[in-house]
Amino acid sequence: MSDDLVEPVDTALRGQGEGLADQAARAVVAYRDGDRAPMAALVQVMTPLLWHTVRAQGAGTEQAQDIVQNVWLALVREIDTIRDPRATLQWTLVTAKRAAWRAVRRSREEAARTDSDEAATSWLTAPADELPDARALRDERDRVLWDHVRSLPERCRRLLGLVAMVDRPDYAVVSQALGMPVGSIGPTRGRCLAKLRVSLASDPSWSMS
Amino acid sequence: MTEDATLALVAAAGVDDLDVEILGRLAALVDAADPVPEGLVESIGLALTMEVLHAELAELHLVGEPALAVRADETSIEAGTITFTTDVLTVMISVHHENDRVRVDGWAAPAGELVVELHHGGHVETTTSDEDGRFAFVELERGPARLVLRRASDPTMPVVTPQIEL
Repeated sequence: MSDDLVEPVDTALRGQGEGLADQAARAVVAYRDGDRAPMAALVQVMTPLLWHTVRAQGAGTEQAQDIVQNVWLALVREIDTIRDPRATLQWTLVTAKRAAWRAVRRSREEAARTDSDEAATSWLTAPADELPDARALRDERDRVLWDHVRSLPERCRRLLGLVAMVDRPDYAVVSQALGMPVGSIGPTRGRCLAKLRVSLASDPSWSMS
Repeated sequence: MTEDATLALVAAAGVDDLDVEILGRLAALVDAADPVPEGLVESIGLALTMEVLHAELAELHLVGEPALAVRADETSIEAGTITFTTDVLTVMISVHHENDRVRVDGWAAPAGELVVELHHGGHVETTTSDEDGRFAFVELERGPARLVLRRASDPTMPVVTPQIEL
């Protein structure tokens, strides 16, 4: 038996504790040292989280793309001022959320004057026949889950939808960046995830599926 | 036990594998309901590259037919020629629509070998110009695109065109 088998197992174990926060910290440190490849990789894996963070604030699709791009530009422009690289994930989430909030408030003020409200998104709130695409519902369990998520309070819907974008090591950072201490997920479930679990547990079609 | 007490108990328990499964399913549903727009990651990558190269960047200026910069009529076969210029390079491209595909032929002066990248809908195609400065991209999808040209004499100082609508 060769020792070759040992290395991948070891790597897999170490990888378990690695979340976006760690990856972001390493990307920032590498970027300062002139190695930009880890930052490019981070853009790939973290942009979906930033996208949904900005969209959950109600930003329109064009607006949201600009905001997400500007968050990344702000990060590299201010990269030398980041004292603790481990706070990078938190920093980008808070920056994205605030920028989206400001942009949405501006466009709502404009919409109030022009009587159009295209920017408002129905993220996680649209009627079941519209979203998500029926093809995205892989099975009955997905459909039941979606119904229960939609019946949660809006703050919980947002929190769960965004925490879902990351792996376990990052649950707490995402919850805190969204300013949801009561609902905060990780290491305990927190109230939002608990509400969902209680509501699913009471639904026979969930336990049957 | 009251509803509130049950909730508090469930909330205080640790995240388990079923929670992780639930969140995993939810992630797929949220992504399907509101996918990240195609090309966003790529355009962020380009914006970051341009940020790094800020001081050396030569943005080309449109001197040709501005009509090419607007979306062509979907049913017609469009052909257009457009010229961009900077201090260090002049680039002429012609765009041909063949059904729903697009072909781009380009020519850069002064003549010499260039690495030409076409940034387009989330991916990058790369080609090299011949010694006369000619290059071509074929079988492209329609949509916004941008050329990044790197000269062998100064590969870290690319020339970037404004976005054009193919």
